[in-house]
Amino acid sequence: MEIIRLRNVGKSFGGIKAVNNINMDFLSGRITGLIGPNGAGKTTIFNLIGGFIKVDEGEIYFKNENITNLSPWEISKKGIGRIFQDIRVFKKLTVLENVLLGKSNAGEYPYNVFLRFKEVGKEEKENVERARYWIKFVGLEGMENTPAENLSYGQQKLLSIARLLMGEYEVLLLDEPTAGIHPEIVKKFIELMRKIVENGKTIIFIEHNMNIVSEIADWLFFLKEGEIYDMGKPGDILGNEEIRRIYMGLSDVKT
Amino acid sequence: MNYIFHILIMVFIYGILSLSLNLLVGYGGLLSLSHSAFYGIGAYATTLLLIKGVNFFPALIFSIFFTSILSFFIAYPSLRLKGDYFVLATLGFQIIVFSILYNWVGLTKGPYGIPGIPRPKIFNFELSTPFHYFIFSGIFFFIVFLFFRKLYNSPYGRVLKSIREDEIASASLGKDIPLIKIWAFVISCGICAISGSLYATYVTYIDPTSFTLDESIFIMSIVILGGSGNLKGPFIGTCFMIILPEILRFLGLPDTIAPNVRQIIYGLLLIILMKYRPSGIMGEYSLQ
Repeated sequence: MEIIRLRNVGKSFGGIKAVNNINMDFLSGRITGLIGPNGAGKTTIFNLIGGFIKVDEGEIYFKNENITNLSPWEISKKGIGRIFQDIRVFKKLTVLENVLLGKSNAGEYPYNVFLRFKEVGKEEKENVERARYWIKFVGLEGMENTPAENLSYGQQKLLSIARLLMGEYEVLLLDEPTAGIHPEIVKKFIELMRKIVENGKTIIFIEHNMNIVSEIADWLFFLKEGEIYDMGKPGDILGNEEIRRIYMGLSDVKT
Repeated sequence: MNYIFHILIMVFIYGILSLSLNLLVGYGGLLSLSHSAFYGIGAYATTLLLIKGVNFFPALIFSIFFTSILSFFIAYPSLRLKGDYFVLATLGFQIIVFSILYNWVGLTKGPYGIPGIPRPKIFNFELSTPFHYFIFSGIFFFIVFLFFRKLYNSPYGRVLKSIREDEIASASLGKDIPLIKIWAFVISCGICAISGSLYATYVTYIDPTSFTLDESIFIMSIVILGGSGNLKGPFIGTCFMIILPEILRFLGLPDTIAPNVRQIIYGLLLIILMKYRPSGIMGEYSLQ
């Protein structure tokens, strides 16, 4: 089933077409990769799906519901979560606080804090437990009370992944999830991506490491100058001489 | 002794004001210049009811609700504005409120002010001395302090902090940013009304000059100086800003220049503090 559909989507920035009349279907339970040179429009597509920038033309559907130009929080509530290329953890907040923010809680509304404090307290307790699980999962245990700004780049990235996993989203948009992360954790993360997808969830990711792309992607879109240049199974796309030429430095990738 | 109680009462009243503004500045990252307007609205709402013979507590509750509801109508359009534009919107509101308080003579007696505001009564016991009022305002300060402590340590406080840090990331996690900010504004302004009510009934006279833009800036400087983003900062800031000018009185300066020199010393101290402690005395969050 197509969980996310883009129909004739276009977006311009000051006369430059960042995304030009794109039609894309993302199947549920699959890992789909967006690849292409810098400036191809990959992150712009994520921003359009997530509602972070307005769509100029066309529509975006999530499970047959038109979500074009909803605000980011509404789209997130519907079940599409993302991590950012530039990480965006809350630097002054602790690791635990960051991860806790990944999940909604009745206590996010001030009247519940006072009127339904028992419920809020119980929910918070459960959330803390879950948050600790994900913190441990990404290997940040023992750092729960460390402010995020004291973490290294790679650790911040792991933190943003833990925060995303806390949210139990149906669709995960991952913008360069493995850049700057230790290979051991990358391995673990790849396993996790597979597990997530086995549970019926959907992953769309942007990645420059073609070894990872060829290892986990079920389907690839190759973008160039805001348009879909080619699509297909990783073997076909990465084996295409023309694409290798456009995407320099790929000749040593085994396909 | 009464002089000391007077200073401490002012610390409590401004303490409540700065705690409430801290919710916006320190937690929500929202600079509001209309705090003294809401302080004034609270003071006038309570006063007008008191002189009609309403008891203090019903008047106080009405004034909190009235101020909160009014603040909602300000927050709703202005919180859609970003950063500097929000500051300008609150500045505009501050000027409008002052203008209304000053010119609606029929209701507020305008520049003449309202004298003879009755002191609160608790079961026929009138709070007549500064000591009574010290205890009374202290209890309110304590309750407000506990209220904010509960709020800051709740998931709501966490979400507010996340908005201050990075709105886009917070929205990506499904946080309804406009609604959460509106709540912060409404709560903050509602609490302001408590200060207004305490001030009016303590001084027993109010006029619009107590609720000017200068006052808003003063409250803002308390929060920034004390350090926003936690509970201690605003309190320390209040002690500093209220008590310091009083201490400077004892410098023994000649009467002709004393007020000016005090202002200069006061201004210099602010500059020095901001230079060496940009996030305030106790602050964990700098406004840069």
